[in-house]
Amino acid sequence: MNKNYIILMGILILLAAGLLVLPLKNNSKQLDPEKLMWDIVQPTRYVSTDEVAKMIIERDPLLVLVDVRPTEDFQAFSLPTAFSFPVDSLATDDAIPALTFDKRNLVLYSNDDLKSDQAWIIAKRLGLKNIYVLKGGLNRWIQTIIQPEAPAESASEAEFNLYAFRQGASQYFTGGSISIEQGPQAEVNVSRKKKAKAAEGGC
Amino acid sequence: MGPLIPQGIIPMGWDFVIALLIGIAFGFVLEASGFSSSRNITGVFYGYNFVVLRVFFTAVVVAMIGLQYFDYFGWIDLNQIYVLPTYLSPMIVGAIIMGVGFILGGFCPGTSYTAIAIGKIDAMVFTGGLFLGIFLFSEFFPFFEQFYYSGNMGNITIGEFFGISNTLFTLIFVVIAVVAFYVTWRIELRVRKNMTQYKF
Repeated sequence: MNKNYIILMGILILLAAGLLVLPLKNNSKQLDPEKLMWDIVQPTRYVSTDEVAKMIIERDPLLVLVDVRPTEDFQAFSLPTAFSFPVDSLATDDAIPALTFDKRNLVLYSNDDLKSDQAWIIAKRLGLKNIYVLKGGLNRWIQTIIQPEAPAESASEAEFNLYAFRQGASQYFTGGSISIEQGPQAEVNVSRKKKAKAAEGGC
Repeated sequence: MGPLIPQGIIPMGWDFVIALLIGIAFGFVLEASGFSSSRNITGVFYGYNFVVLRVFFTAVVVAMIGLQYFDYFGWIDLNQIYVLPTYLSPMIVGAIIMGVGFILGGFCPGTSYTAIAIGKIDAMVFTGGLFLGIFLFSEFFPFFEQFYYSGNMGNITIGEFFGISNTLFTLIFVVIAVVAFYVTWRIELRVRKNMTQYKF
């Protein structure tokens, strides 16, 4: 038998045996169940109402607010810049293209965080990235941002600062006016010394 | 990356153009390797020439190994490759009919066209019979339609059927192929007096 044939056959068998030792590759795009379980118990998916309020006020370009309540509720009241995407429509084919934002942070909210948590799990299973849930939902939003409660007098300075921020945010979102006291402005006199000599050409 | 057409890397409309180009290349290789000669290709049935067996085993083995490495490197997604559904008993009957026609006519469908291309009259007659067969099959299809679709096992691979991994089956198949190459080579040595070995 021709020696070349024997070499070729050897290569064939080697390649085929090589296939056996290759590690199994997971081609499926679906989320690994264990990873999902891990993500579910992590509190990192939650953002607080204060953080979201700050992002809205600062017009954070990375923030995408998604209202997962039914459309009627969305029309009755919604957060500024949010768009409506009810939980039911997450099961449709439009969900992935509608909710895919390159490198932007999706924040889901509903009246509390139950519905938005459900939506979060579905969205995760769909393979969407950078999804967060508004902790406490709109109920907490009303409690903290729209009608903030004054802290007790013995509270820490941080809490007072937070209260101050919430009051400001409340006025921002409810359209209330705020009066900022300004002290009398002193006139500023700017005096310049005249240059002794006019600039001369060098050399 | 691949498969190219389902992923939209090559537009759908090009599939016939690509099929035509592959067909031309296939026909050229068939002709060049002597497959337009009935003596060469029916020798496998009479036991004096096993070139058909070697060529098709080689093609299958190379494609098997190649596709799986491509899948591993991420060049092609084997999950997206269409696996023909298996209808076991109709396929066995079809294979027998095909084999009988192969011995009787001295060509398989593809090689008959390469033989026409080099002007063989028997191949032209064969192709006439081929079209007659297609016509009769289509006309009488309702009579055996039930049998035609019976025993559907779905889009199953041999590895899945026997419960082994596709890679293990590949290795087994390669070993079978190599053994077959060796055995048929021994047989040819005995049977043929004036055998010329292919050089490459």
